[in-house]
Amino acid sequence: MSAAPTRTDSTPPAALPARTGEPVLTLTDVTKRYGGRTVVDVPRLELGRHGIEGLIGPNGAGKTTLMKLVTQAVAPTTGTVVHHAADGGERRLSGMSADAVARMGVVKSNQVIQDFDSLTIRESMLLALAASRRERFFSLFGERAFRRESEATIDTYLERFGFADPDGHAGSAGEKKLLDIVRCLLLRPSFLLLDEPTAGLPQAETDKVMELVRERTAAGEMSVLIIEHDLDLIWDTCAHVHFMAEGQVVLQGTPAEVRADATLAEKYLGTSHV
Amino acid sequence: MDALIFPLSTLAIIVCLGALLHLQFGQAGIVNFGVVGFSGLGMYLTAILVIEAEQPFGLALVIATVVTGLVAAALGWLILDLDNEAVLVATLAFATIVWHLSTTEDQLTGGVVGLGTVPLPFDLGDYRATTLAYLGVLVAIAAALVLYARQVSRVPYGRLIRSIQDNEPLARSLGKPTFRHKVVFFAVTCALMGTIGGLDAAVQQFLVPRLLLADTTFVVWIALILGGRTRVLGAFFGALLTVGLFDIVVEQYVEVPREYSLLLPDLQLMAFGMVLMLVILFRPAGLLGDGRKRRAPGAAKGASA
Ligand SMILES: Nc1ncnc2c1ncn2[C@@H]1O[C@H](COP(=O)(O)OP(=O)(O)OP(=O)(O)O)[C@@H](O)[C@H]1O
Ligand SMILES: [Mg+2]
Repeated sequence: MSAAPTRTDSTPPAALPARTGEPVLTLTDVTKRYGGRTVVDVPRLELGRHGIEGLIGPNGAGKTTLMKLVTQAVAPTTGTVVHHAADGGERRLSGMSADAVARMGVVKSNQVIQDFDSLTIRESMLLALAASRRERFFSLFGERAFRRESEATIDTYLERFGFADPDGHAGSAGEKKLLDIVRCLLLRPSFLLLDEPTAGLPQAETDKVMELVRERTAAGEMSVLIIEHDLDLIWDTCAHVHFMAEGQVVLQGTPAEVRADATLAEKYLGTSHV
Repeated sequence: MDALIFPLSTLAIIVCLGALLHLQFGQAGIVNFGVVGFSGLGMYLTAILVIEAEQPFGLALVIATVVTGLVAAALGWLILDLDNEAVLVATLAFATIVWHLSTTEDQLTGGVVGLGTVPLPFDLGDYRATTLAYLGVLVAIAAALVLYARQVSRVPYGRLIRSIQDNEPLARSLGKPTFRHKVVFFAVTCALMGTIGGLDAAVQQFLVPRLLLADTTFVVWIALILGGRTRVLGAFFGALLTVGLFDIVVEQYVEVPREYSLLLPDLQLMAFGMVLMLVILFRPAGLLGDGRKRRAPGAAKGASA
């Protein structure tokens, strides 16, 4: 496997377009091993410089694992992940708990459907919105005021997206997937990681999700990293693309550059798309 | 009527513990199989402080509650990020340790000889009136716990603890410090189990280690599972149908031939076990069912579609 020719990108090629901003996340020497197998090995990677970035690669390349290493849902075997806040402050995410990472504004949606079985769609959204000062065992009142405060926000999402019954449970797989993404958006993340957001979603909902993501990114509210197998979406949406294979980021650049590169054709398109 | 005050007080105690177990297991998903460990710790601490240290009952109860809560916080911190099986075994082991201490630390506890007498915390002059008033206090506390459970299930904190039970990693990914919440909630609810145990000390009046055997835990669990673990009134209905039926109706009003009366406790546990198995087989959400799921028509259909 390691004999395959790869172009590792510890420093991006000079041909990259002008850098549009400072990175939000910097990964240094990040590896993840399961048993004896290294599933992610990233000497250096900067994320969040370009608004919406794509992360592509064949099945099992380690894309989901890489995202989980960022959010600390999975602890790295080695290496550090540093978050650069808008105010210039730097925090090491590696070693933090996953919930602390989310509270820093780094939030990930799930590839595999995840839901809270006992919460309705609206309750799930209220959970995402509830501030920690409301979540104490002796805070027994103020539910009505909280619902009133949250109503406008929740309604904008309910109007925008197609939920059959907001006061029922998410029924179909598509609704659960959509709710998962909406929960993430409700947290107002500064860095959003979307893991195959279109898988299982009807095309109309996918379009609406991507439209909202583009709006928020254009407004400078957040940067985004998207994993997708729908490459047309990647080429259309992303300003920058990272290509992963066998645990390593072997190629990065603009969509045009990545598309044109022979490595991609050989390692990805060649195997699964032709 | 007088003969009913003691069993009704015991019933109220079981309902209180059941409401607390509903909060722990029904709402937060914490598998506490050591209920009697926490109530028993509170019971013995209260009694020791009242009898050996000659402290007033109220102060003893507060100290017992706080100490039980601190012990639960330490235990919770050690075990609450383990899986359910481990939590079950660890809490069961904790209760066994508390029982063991009650037999070995006999300078304090009186060992198997027993510890007594714990007086009722107030005296209305007439013994019957006093015990009746104390029963009233226990019923009021049971009602307060049930009301708390109902209210908390409707506010952000209730959604939070349910989300932890449903899918803890997902709750964590939304920024909820789930481990800290579990430890705090476990400590508070176990502290209250200690309070209930302390109040029970005055009902029992004479404490023997047998009171700390797992029977109490089983009875509370059976009541909750029978009634419905996710229902606020689950433990109440379950306790009525188990403890209420056996300890009150059968023992008070059914003529049992003398030679069988010794068998009664064993028959009772066997019957409880049978009922529990039938409920789990045929009505796993308990007799009251799972109210939440019913409110969402079509959810079950949609999920399988
Ligand atoms: N918990 C785990 N234990 C062992 N191996 C794992 C674990 N999680 C992931 N892996 C392995 O790591 C590799 C990378 O998995 P990952 O899910 O990150 O791939 P991916 O690029 O997201 O793939 P896909 O496009 O199919 O979602 C796979 O070979 C997978 O089997
Ligand atoms: Mg994946």
